[in-house]
Amino acid sequence: MDQRTDLSNEERDILHDVGFEDLSERAATAVLVDGTVRLAQSSDPDVEVMSLAEALRTYDFVQDLMFGLVEPDANEDIALIAEQRNAPLGHFVWVKPGAQVTLPVQTFTLLETPQGRQFTHDIMLIDEGASVDMISGSAVPSSVHKGRHVSIGECYMRKDASCNAVTIEHWGEGMDIVSYGYAQMDEGARSQSTAIKMAPVANDLSRSKVTMGSNTNAVSQAIIFAAAGTERVIETETHLNGPGAKSEDLARMVSAGGTIINNAHLIGNMAGTNGFLGCDGLKLTNDGAIRAVPALEAKAEGAMLSHEASVGMIDSDKLNYLMAAGIEEDAARDLIVQGFLSLENTAIPAGLRRRVVEMIAQAKSGGM
Amino acid sequence: MLEIRDLTVGIGGATILENVNMILPEGELHVLLGPNGSGKSSLLATIMGLPPFEIHAGEILFHGSPIRDLSLHERAKLGIGLAYQRPPSIDGVSLHSFAQALGADDQLASHANALDLSDFLDRDMNVGFSGGEIKRWEVLKLMLQDPRFLMFDEPESGVDLEHVIDVGEAIAHAVRAPDRDGRICSGLVITHTGLILNHVKADQAHIMKDGRILHSSDPQTLFAHVQTGGYTVPAA
Repeated sequence: MDQRTDLSNEERDILHDVGFEDLSERAATAVLVDGTVRLAQSSDPDVEVMSLAEALRTYDFVQDLMFGLVEPDANEDIALIAEQRNAPLGHFVWVKPGAQVTLPVQTFTLLETPQGRQFTHDIMLIDEGASVDMISGSAVPSSVHKGRHVSIGECYMRKDASCNAVTIEHWGEGMDIVSYGYAQMDEGARSQSTAIKMAPVANDLSRSKVTMGSNTNAVSQAIIFAAAGTERVIETETHLNGPGAKSEDLARMVSAGGTIINNAHLIGNMAGTNGFLGCDGLKLTNDGAIRAVPALEAKAEGAMLSHEASVGMIDSDKLNYLMAAGIEEDAARDLIVQGFLSLENTAIPAGLRRRVVEMIAQAKSGGM
Repeated sequence: MLEIRDLTVGIGGATILENVNMILPEGELHVLLGPNGSGKSSLLATIMGLPPFEIHAGEILFHGSPIRDLSLHERAKLGIGLAYQRPPSIDGVSLHSFAQALGADDQLASHANALDLSDFLDRDMNVGFSGGEIKRWEVLKLMLQDPRFLMFDEPESGVDLEHVIDVGEAIAHAVRAPDRDGRICSGLVITHTGLILNHVKADQAHIMKDGRILHSSDPQTLFAHVQTGGYTVPAA
């Protein structure tokens, strides 16, 4: 087992691209490398980070959180993680009751072994009345382009908890990625999340389920890019279970020759709930495909659900307008794509936003 | 600066402009008058290189060199600029982002102030703009581009009286002042109302009808004629 407790400069550089900052600028940091939680450190007494294995040994309640939102035999991938003979691999983050954490908490997963197989399980508990900003990322060194990563994430937001989360994935271009995310929002919890999938992969299956209690509010944005050779399937399920629950789920998808399938399902189980799904797709070439399937299911009178969906090519009038102003065609396309993705309106920190803009340009040219 | 020789333009098989001739010397501002559908906007779009207009015959020379084979972007880089009549709106691209992409963000605040658009810098381009705001933005856009040959397609239409003065002064400044490299500029303005002529001193006016230039002469005299006699050739 790797006994190191810190990261090399090269590892820090790789992770910096997906949001890593020096530990002094973060309330807490956890980094998982291959099969080990390499770094788990908190400078805030209200935030605990540790490996899931250690958390299970340290706190009785963690065993109740693990597989609390999904059955361990829910499907083959999840069973694979559940039945691992080794100790579970993953992060545990606990933001304690009432904590108002000023600096972000950062967690990262790094796969350094070519053809590596990584199966992780992360658990996050944001306790009652706590507030935190989260930055999470996944990355590989440029030398790794084949491998498989399967993950489960379970997030518990207790009463009146608040979380602003940004997640950036930057896997290898030939990798298979499978991720399952589950979240439970108790009464009054508030969540704002931005997920960014830019770098090419071979296959990416992302499935998430959120259950929202009374007076909860969730705004989620997904920024999804598929270069030629990338196939992404994103399936989201949002259950509005308590009166006053309100969700807004926006997906902005750009295909530069790859395929994106977005199945978004919004279920209003109670009166007084309100939900919106927005799925917009932009195709940059004639190759590839974007399929946006928003589904609404109102199970109670008074559940207000709506959706908007659009898929199209770059409007030549807009492109010509920018080019007639003296902007080169590639730069004009980038500007339109950036505008489409509404990066300026996301909760992404400014430094990361600049990096995402660079990623757009690189992803289009296949240079990532 | 700009010379149009025997220009015939079409879309597919249909002829839109026929045998158009015009010379716009350095330092001059010309106005183009004509009824709706006469081909005025098509002429500006052809000079800019916008689709779907195809040059079937003739030539456009910019400082003596033909531009018909140049792309939109290449024409813009040469110093040709167009303030659109009906520009597209571009979601997510703020005026500030656009100015950054042009490398002119240091110019944005002062020009925006002159056109009373200081509160618009974080707004998306043309999204939710009123007709008058669009026109002011189009003038501001050209000021950021800093072209040597400026074209304005009905810059005063939809602009309230208070702001027509701003627009007129901005056009006059953009055309009459040298560009950032000290080069002399010139311009071509389409106007329906002639209101802009109260704020911009033009050197020559042209009447266009049915895709042809009917007549060219002094702007004030010609506009006075149009107001009484319509878009016709004045009696000698």
